Amino acid sequence: MIKNFLKLVKNEFTLMLRGSVFTIVLYSLLLIAASIFSLALRHVSFDIEIAIAFLWVIIFFISLIKVEKVYATDFSESKLQQYILSPFALEIVVFLKNIMIYFNLLFLFIIFSPIILIILGIQLSYLLPINILLALSLLSIIFISSMTASITISKNNKLSITSVLTLPLFIPILIVSMALTDVVDFQLNKMYLFFVAYFLLNLAFSPLLTSFALKKLSV
Amino acid sequence: MIEIKNLSFARGNNLIFQNVSFVVKPNELVVLKGANGQGKTTLLSNIVNFLEPLEGEILYHGKSVDGHTASQCFLYIGENNFAYDNLSLNENIKYWLAIHNVNFSQEIRDKSINFLFGELNLKLRFYQLSYGQKKKLQLLLLMLVNKPVWVLDDPFNGLDQDTINKITSLLSRKLEDDGIILISSHKDISIPNHSIYELK
Repeated sequence: MIKNFLKLVKNEFTLMLRGSVFTIVLYSLLLIAASIFSLALRHVSFDIEIAIAFLWVIIFFISLIKVEKVYATDFSESKLQQYILSPFALEIVVFLKNIMIYFNLLFLFIIFSPIILIILGIQLSYLLPINILLALSLLSIIFISSMTASITISKNNKLSITSVLTLPLFIPILIVSMALTDVVDFQLNKMYLFFVAYFLLNLAFSPLLTSFALKKLSV
Repeated sequence: MIEIKNLSFARGNNLIFQNVSFVVKPNELVVLKGANGQGKTTLLSNIVNFLEPLEGEILYHGKSVDGHTASQCFLYIGENNFAYDNLSLNENIKYWLAIHNVNFSQEIRDKSINFLFGELNLKLRFYQLSYGQKKKLQLLLLMLVNKPVWVLDDPFNGLDQDTINKITSLLSRKLEDDGIILISSHKDISIPNHSIYELK
């Protein structure tokens, strides 16, 4: 079982790599959005908070779109049927896919981040804190997005609208991320622990709810 | 033994089938027949616990079929292909055999792959294969996943005679091993002593 689990991880990693093109397209759109944002506000002086708030909102959308795209293809009815009848619990498959999406988004963000920061007029000294902040908050964002996506891709269009109920779960991440930008020069402090705690909270119920929604709504 | 007792299923207000009852014993193959829209696929989905029936029950060896029983004992092959288009055939084989926790030795795996795919280049991406070649990946699961009950939805659809013969031989072998097989099919099956259940 462990041998097959490791094979599964390896193949999920391959799938993640093959799906990188879509992530690059999404980050390219982020670059365009950031350019428009900076050009539109070129005569206005604004603090780092505004630029980071903009960045975070776009990251939310990118995560939602990426997770939904992966779920729509990887949890199509025929694949889902095989996952349900597999000896591995669907929750494990959901967890693995979420983690792979996380690494995919994070790795490419690290590559794109210097350009994004330059476009948004953020000092490059913030590069490391922003990447750490994203690395911590993205885990929760992905796991919440997976709940949203599992409802959105359901066969029943009327039920898809209920996916908006998961959106308030993003708010604490946004609030704490913004609060952290106020804290003395963005240094590592105990507020970062919030992301770890929030991720553990999400980890406890997100794979369960996601797989429940997939089983009930998409088969 | 699988017992289907007074099974009914509805989607919203639309009743798909009503009071379906039959028994499939070990060493037995039952073919579900019926016109399009009579609920053959839906009935199979009920049996493997993908869908919950409106009324009635499904028993496997006297116990109600739940998610755990279904994942331990039932192998389901649907009409649509489940493989990943952006993985190669070889990667797909490894992935889906891992998902089903297949533990056969590499030698047996290679023999099975050779039996089904012959000289086909396994490095081809899945989207580059024809419909029939794609379907063979599903058949590989039949050969290597060791579960007592096979539930197959229209397994012969779109396949050439050679592949149909291979499936038929797999079905015969499964029956010899006391397997239970449920099939929905529009075609006649050349396996002796199978029973037919007509959905009306």
